[in-house]
Amino acid sequence: MTAMVEFTLDGRAVSAPEGELLVHAAARHDTFIPTLCHDSKLDPYGGCRMCVVDVEGSPRPMPACATRVAEGMVVSTNGAITDFQRTLTEMLLSEHLNASPGGRPNELLDLANELGAEAPLILPDAKREEYDDRNRLMGYDPDACILCNRCVRYTQEVMQCSALSLEGRGGQARIVPTWGLSWLDTECELCGGCLSVCPTGAIYEKFEEGTKRPERALEQVRTTCTFCGVGCQIDLNLDPETKHIVKVTSKDEYLPNEGNLCVKGRFAFNFVHHPDRLTQPLVRGEDGELHATTWEHALQVAADGLRGVIERHGSQAVGFLSSARLTNEENYLIQKLARAVVGTNSVHSCEST
Amino acid sequence: MDAVRLVALLPRLPTARTRLLDNLGRVRREVGPITPELSDALADHMNIRRGEVHEVVSFYSFLQVPAGAHRICTGPVCDCFGARDLLAQHPDAIEVACLGHCDLAPVQTRGDEIVPAVTHSTNEGPAIGLGRRDETIADYAARGGLEPLRDSLATDRVIGELKASGITGFGGAGFPTGVKWEAVSREPGPRYVVVNADEGEPGTIKDRYVMELRPHLFVEGVLIAMRFAEAEEGYIYLREEYATAQRRLLDAIEEFRVAGLLDGRSLELVIGAGAYIAGEETAMLESMEGRRAMPRLRPPFPAQVGYLGRPTLINNVETLAHIPAILVKGGDWWASLGRRGTVGTRLWSVSGAVGAPGCYEAPSGITTRELVEEHAGGFAGEVGAVVPGGAASGILPPEAFDTPLTRDALREYGAGVGSAAVQVFPASYSPLRLLAETMRFFAEESCQKCTPCRIGNRALHHLCEELEHGEAAMTREKVDEWLLAMEKTSICGLGQASPIPVRNAMRWWPELFAPLDGARSSSAH
Repeated sequence: MTAMVEFTLDGRAVSAPEGELLVHAAARHDTFIPTLCHDSKLDPYGGCRMCVVDVEGSPRPMPACATRVAEGMVVSTNGAITDFQRTLTEMLLSEHLNASPGGRPNELLDLANELGAEAPLILPDAKREEYDDRNRLMGYDPDACILCNRCVRYTQEVMQCSALSLEGRGGQARIVPTWGLSWLDTECELCGGCLSVCPTGAIYEKFEEGTKRPERALEQVRTTCTFCGVGCQIDLNLDPETKHIVKVTSKDEYLPNEGNLCVKGRFAFNFVHHPDRLTQPLVRGEDGELHATTWEHALQVAADGLRGVIERHGSQAVGFLSSARLTNEENYLIQKLARAVVGTNSVHSCEST
Repeated sequence: MDAVRLVALLPRLPTARTRLLDNLGRVRREVGPITPELSDALADHMNIRRGEVHEVVSFYSFLQVPAGAHRICTGPVCDCFGARDLLAQHPDAIEVACLGHCDLAPVQTRGDEIVPAVTHSTNEGPAIGLGRRDETIADYAARGGLEPLRDSLATDRVIGELKASGITGFGGAGFPTGVKWEAVSREPGPRYVVVNADEGEPGTIKDRYVMELRPHLFVEGVLIAMRFAEAEEGYIYLREEYATAQRRLLDAIEEFRVAGLLDGRSLELVIGAGAYIAGEETAMLESMEGRRAMPRLRPPFPAQVGYLGRPTLINNVETLAHIPAILVKGGDWWASLGRRGTVGTRLWSVSGAVGAPGCYEAPSGITTRELVEEHAGGFAGEVGAVVPGGAASGILPPEAFDTPLTRDALREYGAGVGSAAVQVFPASYSPLRLLAETMRFFAEESCQKCTPCRIGNRALHHLCEELEHGEAAMTREKVDEWLLAMEKTSICGLGQASPIPVRNAMRWWPELFAPLDGARSSSAH
């Protein structure tokens, strides 16, 4: 068990597990320290400096996102230190040319509103080279990027892939898919994890199903992704008027996926409202056409058909193919049906290939 | 791309991540400028993700340009002496922030060749003795070299002499060397020794003088440090532009090896690729480990967690070159070399409007006027401003020329002694232009990682250019707030110190900043 340490937070005696990041320890004690480059899924980075706090004995402010609590530490998160938050916000605004390219939340603008920060000038080199990608799922507007590097670190630390790079230095520094290629020509799997960690919405879903509403105006319905047996927890984001799904998101606290999704879970939801989608069981009639029916009848027809084949050609004439969308438990039942009921070992799931 | 040469070279390149920068340098020299295809081929060979190699390649200034490129230095002294005219005459040339030959300003390079040809203007000081060039290790030994290396070098005695001497690091930060060595010696092994030879602070040429003229003295200093730290491996991180120093060091190390003085230890060069920030010690470690040279968060400090996570002793070239004399003649002797109650001597890089630009060994505590008049041939014409110790050290008005160039004395002027790179600017060169060039340098060399440095330096550069035209986009109050945020919240010394020249200029030439008081205070949005 991790030892607890006592420390002082804005004059209060508090405790936290030894080695916990200050920003997390403070949050548990109801002290909110603003961050932009921090993401609890990633290694501490300390780049945006928004979270600097005073630590007694330290010659300069320390980043709460990269400083770990220690016994006897005396931390101050209010007072003059908050002036730095406003100044740093002004700095970021001075090259933030396009605040909301795709309707995603913008944490920098939230901070600016809260702190009353405005850009005193726009840097003459703020405009970055445009990036146009032929993929149909993710868009990127470099002018909204604040170089917090969360997306790049996500690809390197979580996805272990080579999709985005932090390129150059100084005023020329930018974040761009590796060597400026289309994401389709990098190792990118289009999982959209980069856009999920982007604090300003610089990377966003191109794939918006008929709404211009910002993400925060959408209704969320939590459910389980149907694409595979992992059971990722997702939020379906609905247009409040049409009740149509317009995007899929997830949250860090959701298990087992911890907010991570794959390309299908995040982007492949248009089947839900597709006119060709089957919504009830169909059985082909004598006329050769499909007709709507009840589940009881449809299953009876299927069972009769299978039984007929077994009677005419034996059990080995039947095989089972199960879908990757099924859970482990459902796949178990399929093989039970195949082996114990039908008597065949010909059973396969498309997940195995 | 020369596919044949690439295919021949790749299998010979080591695959450890620490060899990435070295491999990129070899591919650049032997195959050609690093293209995306070459980068990807090397990434695949070394089993590193392509995007990570892309990040590294794009970070450094030189990897994507030909090894034989024509480069023109636009550091402040070169700018003052006509670098922009040279650039206009040579549109194909590449503009470089600093080439480390400020005594020859304006300076250019064609491949490894320095234009104009390198000359040394120096003196025979008591500790380093740059007055004579050592050709071989025998020359060096004949001048009394190699004595300490043949000694037992007991840890307590070494620390005692260093502390008695009062020597502090000559790279710019000025940390007490004895304290640093003692701290490293208390950490568990294995330990590394890394030498910072990435001399990149504009105006600073002293380490190049040492490596070109007295490479054996310096190598002996490194080997003393390695024996002290019980380090099996030592690395000298050398800036790419110093081709002569590179050759001389390789020859000297080989002579030490042949003489049996390496003691089975490995001492290697790591060649940079054009990035000022790689001279920041933690950025240097990142660079050596095959990543972008972005400074690490401290604590922990390199003495505890350094190269490859091990305790690492990092020293500047000049600092190590003083060590043999301190050990032979004693720390008290070295301390007595100072002037006005300060300790020791140091190497002063003097450039700009003086009779004899060069590198001179002179006492600590010397004044600008004494330094220039006693050693550098006197002031050439009317002087407008002096930068006392490198770009981030500050900008001094002529009234400060009789102030000792020490940390304590310069504090009164809000400046520092930094790397002791005294740059003298004529009255015809506007302090505002000097400041604008200085801020441009910081803006371009910022690693980009932290907000205050990445954006603050660009904003201040822009502001200086506006002020040159009598305009200002920011109010004085806002400028002060931004300077404070840069100083207090930047990760490393670059952003922490770059406000110093701005504050100096605002204080000594207030009339140039008058537009701040009538600045457009309304928001840009």
